[in-house]
Amino acid sequence: MITLQNIEKVYRTSSIETLALNNININIRKGEFVSIMGPSGCGKSTLLNIMGLLDEPSKGSVAIAGQPVKSYRDKELAALRNQKIGFIFQSFHLINDLSVLDNVEIPLLYRPANGKSRLDHAKEALEKVGLSNRMKHFPRQLSGGQKQRVAIARAIVGNPEIILADEPTGNLDSAMGNEIMSILQSLNDDGATIIMVTHDESMAKKTHRLIRLFDGTQVGDSLLQGVAGAGREWQGASMPSVQTLPSTPKL
Amino acid sequence: MLTHLFKLMWNKKRTHTLLIVEIIASFLVLFGVTSLIVFNLRNYQEPIGFAYENVWTLNFNARDQPDSTVGEVMQRVKERIQTYPQVESTTLFSSNAPYTMNMSNGDVTNGNARTLSNQYRTDLDMAKTLNVPVLEGRWFNKSDESADVRTMVINTPLKEALFGDEPALGKQITFGGPGDKHKKEDYFTIVGVIGNFKTQGEYMTNAPGLFQLNKGEARSYTRTALIKVKPGTDASFEAQLTKDLGMLTKDWNIEVSYMENQRQSTHNITLVPVTIFLIISGFLLINVALGLFGVLNVSITKRRSEIGLRRALGATGNGISKQFVGEIWVLATFGLLIGLLFAVQFPLMNVFDLKADVYITAIVLSVVVIYLIVTLCAVFPSRQAAEIQPAVALHEE
Repeated sequence: MITLQNIEKVYRTSSIETLALNNININIRKGEFVSIMGPSGCGKSTLLNIMGLLDEPSKGSVAIAGQPVKSYRDKELAALRNQKIGFIFQSFHLINDLSVLDNVEIPLLYRPANGKSRLDHAKEALEKVGLSNRMKHFPRQLSGGQKQRVAIARAIVGNPEIILADEPTGNLDSAMGNEIMSILQSLNDDGATIIMVTHDESMAKKTHRLIRLFDGTQVGDSLLQGVAGAGREWQGASMPSVQTLPSTPKL
Repeated sequence: MLTHLFKLMWNKKRTHTLLIVEIIASFLVLFGVTSLIVFNLRNYQEPIGFAYENVWTLNFNARDQPDSTVGEVMQRVKERIQTYPQVESTTLFSSNAPYTMNMSNGDVTNGNARTLSNQYRTDLDMAKTLNVPVLEGRWFNKSDESADVRTMVINTPLKEALFGDEPALGKQITFGGPGDKHKKEDYFTIVGVIGNFKTQGEYMTNAPGLFQLNKGEARSYTRTALIKVKPGTDASFEAQLTKDLGMLTKDWNIEVSYMENQRQSTHNITLVPVTIFLIISGFLLINVALGLFGVLNVSITKRRSEIGLRRALGATGNGISKQFVGEIWVLATFGLLIGLLFAVQFPLMNVFDLKADVYITAIVLSVVVIYLIVTLCAVFPSRQAAEIQPAVALHEE
């Protein structure tokens, strides 16, 4: 689904060069739930941005669904992001001046869809995350967990194949975090490929595969045993790991 | 997307109240100035109806001289003027001669319709001296000079006001309204129709006007002589003329003006206030433009994470740019809708007695100018917004 080859990312200022990612090679297959871990500043978010086509690597190539995107122009990249990728952020990134329903509708504004169809899809997505009773509310009227559920609804409203989550539970308490994690697992069960950056080992253990970064270098890529999804085609890969986790709760 | 932008800006209306008020004020000032410009331009397009080139205006102040002698003296003045080889033609005119800033008007009726009309008194040579073309019928001639003949020449606006598309020649009109009691001898027969006659110049409304022949006792009313001189006639002739006429008129005061200079002064009376209003309006618009520019810049800085988010969700750089321009259009639309509520009262209530299409043209022009200004102000900041890197913007919050 996503293939990164020899990825290198260098941030340059007039006097300093910072190597954020160095020789990253990752192949994420359809249906995987992958977590990316590492200490702060190790390049996790940079890696996620490159996967999400929000940033360009300094070297190496990115392919989404087998298509190299290097030659893609802004318009084509935007269309690919809109149709194939959903984003979830630690700080939710909801627009406070729009209602919950209007926030969820945003990705569909960049597609050729009429107002009614957009509204129907947005309502459907909110129902999936259990917020159909909060459609007219504004973000400031919601709790952190509810905000993140709105962000998830916004990520899935366009029915993307890939969901990129940057520390989705980072701003939530453990109960809320578990709730969000359950939703993500359920989406993965429904076929979505999920890549999640996290600092939380317990959340990472609920995924199928764990990629570890350190100082911009990939230092680990392990399959986690016993989680939902085990037995798929990638299950024979190297890097055995960690422990058995309970099955994913349904929405 | 448009609905989305309307919702977004409507929800932010409190934040933008001041800006909306500024847009309303700019629109109304612009509407006022544009109405003035449109009104004057429309007038300018209408020909004045006479030739002012090489025409001199001689105003005679008879001081305490009795009216009974003034008419006789003015007739001698005219006869004397006609003797100079430098003079092509001369005519005596009432005090409201072209470019003198004097006006004389009153109601006129044909028994059915009634209209306000400028009233001029002159003689047989006016059409020739000012090169006024007679469109229908004829100018006054000797046959009109007899005391029992009451004839009039009218201009086209008066003809249209009283008779519409009907012919006016041979019809009778009188002063006052249809309900007033008139005797048979109060009526004048129309013998000629001229085109326009805009005595205050190009910027004057093409108003109704009528001409009465200067005769009998009424000769004392015409104390202005209009002289058409040959091209190249210089100031030495002016000196000779005033000296000679001074001998004829004794203690009278004679003032000579060139009609071309008078025309320029009259234009200035119209153009100076328009220019002042235009400058004030220009400053106000620059103020609004700078305000908008600043607000947009601040808005973009504040909304970097939203820009990053929208890019992540599928907006192109160009799409972001369009969104910001769209937002400012929506904001301008809010202001303009409120401004329009005030502006449409002018044509509806016929304020200042201007034609509705002057106001409507001014409204359309003002709306276009406001949209143009807000677009120009939005272009640069919105391009900056389009260049924001989504990965960086999302990381900032």
